[in-house]
Amino acid sequence: MGVTETLEIFPLKVLRNVIQLNFLRIPTRPGATRPLFDLLERHNVSVKFLLEGCAGGMNRDLVICIANDDFFRLEAELKEVTSRMQAQAVEMRRSVAVLRVLGAHFDIRPGTSGLLFEALAQAGIKVLSIATTITSSMFVISDDQVEAAERVIGRTFHVPKKK
Amino acid sequence: MIKWYICGLLFLSFPSLRLSMDRQSKTLEIMRRIGAPKPERIRITGILQSPELASLTLLLPGGISDSTAAVLKLLGTHSINIRFINKYNDSAGNTSLCLCIDTEFLDAALNLLDANDKRLGIRDFMYHPRVKVISIYPHKERPRIAERLLTTLGVNGIHILSVNNASSVISCVLSTEDVEKALASLEDAFELP
Repeated sequence: MGVTETLEIFPLKVLRNVIQLNFLRIPTRPGATRPLFDLLERHNVSVKFLLEGCAGGMNRDLVICIANDDFFRLEAELKEVTSRMQAQAVEMRRSVAVLRVLGAHFDIRPGTSGLLFEALAQAGIKVLSIATTITSSMFVISDDQVEAAERVIGRTFHVPKKK
Repeated sequence: MIKWYICGLLFLSFPSLRLSMDRQSKTLEIMRRIGAPKPERIRITGILQSPELASLTLLLPGGISDSTAAVLKLLGTHSINIRFINKYNDSAGNTSLCLCIDTEFLDAALNLLDANDKRLGIRDFMYHPRVKVISIYPHKERPRIAERLLTTLGVNGIHILSVNNASSVISCVLSTEDVEKALASLEDAFELP
């Protein structure tokens, strides 16, 4: 394993009361997801988590997390934009949380991601989605596993106490 | 058995995709000529560009057999640094895992994954040997930044391999050959200091 010492990270950031929306197999075309982002922007909705990937067959998948309250406020309009985006399937995961592990120098330390996600897997924590870039790793888990995940991360990294 | 594909070759092997994108670009060019309003530029602080990397996209089992952690551990154990990760469950219940690693470790990673494909349950596999991660900051969870990034690259015919946000940046993985064009189009869509 590339990482041998206990790495220090910044205080863990946990966003709760979030819903994950997977818009699946959206036909590839410029501006395909614009109706969704326009709607969220118009209603001042923060996108807590976002990832997009190739779904094969000239389609793309889009995964976002927004606050539960925002979802319930916009539920009807979200259905309408889903239809405009021509997403062939939509999956919802209610009661999830987004956790952010930040630093230190994950991008130049081989093994950090393996260390984190192996520890979570060993503890039986199911990670629904992951978005990692540069020094930050964000991932989505079920809300009822947040405390367990915090304990695992506390054992895996040196986490300073929140001020 | 792992199927080895190179994304670029795959893309070229589907002329309908390229044709479709060309048609869309022409439509958008006509819209520009007839005076479709150009959206106001969005002020950002900067655009980051990674060194050249290689991307790996794996299709893994979903549910309790999800082997994402095992893949990350395997690569980490062999000192293969992972600079970008996207993982989610697709519509068929598979786990889609996209990774970017340093180019000099591509062969080692391919050999490791090939040697462990049964244990990891790898169902399909693609790689691209030359990509870069382009990041825009700050993102601040704002939908219009994501929208402008995706639309700008799409309108300019740039194929995006993967996108995610982490903390204050939104990042996309592009083929190295598209990066120069992508940066030029992003500088037109966003206002830099």
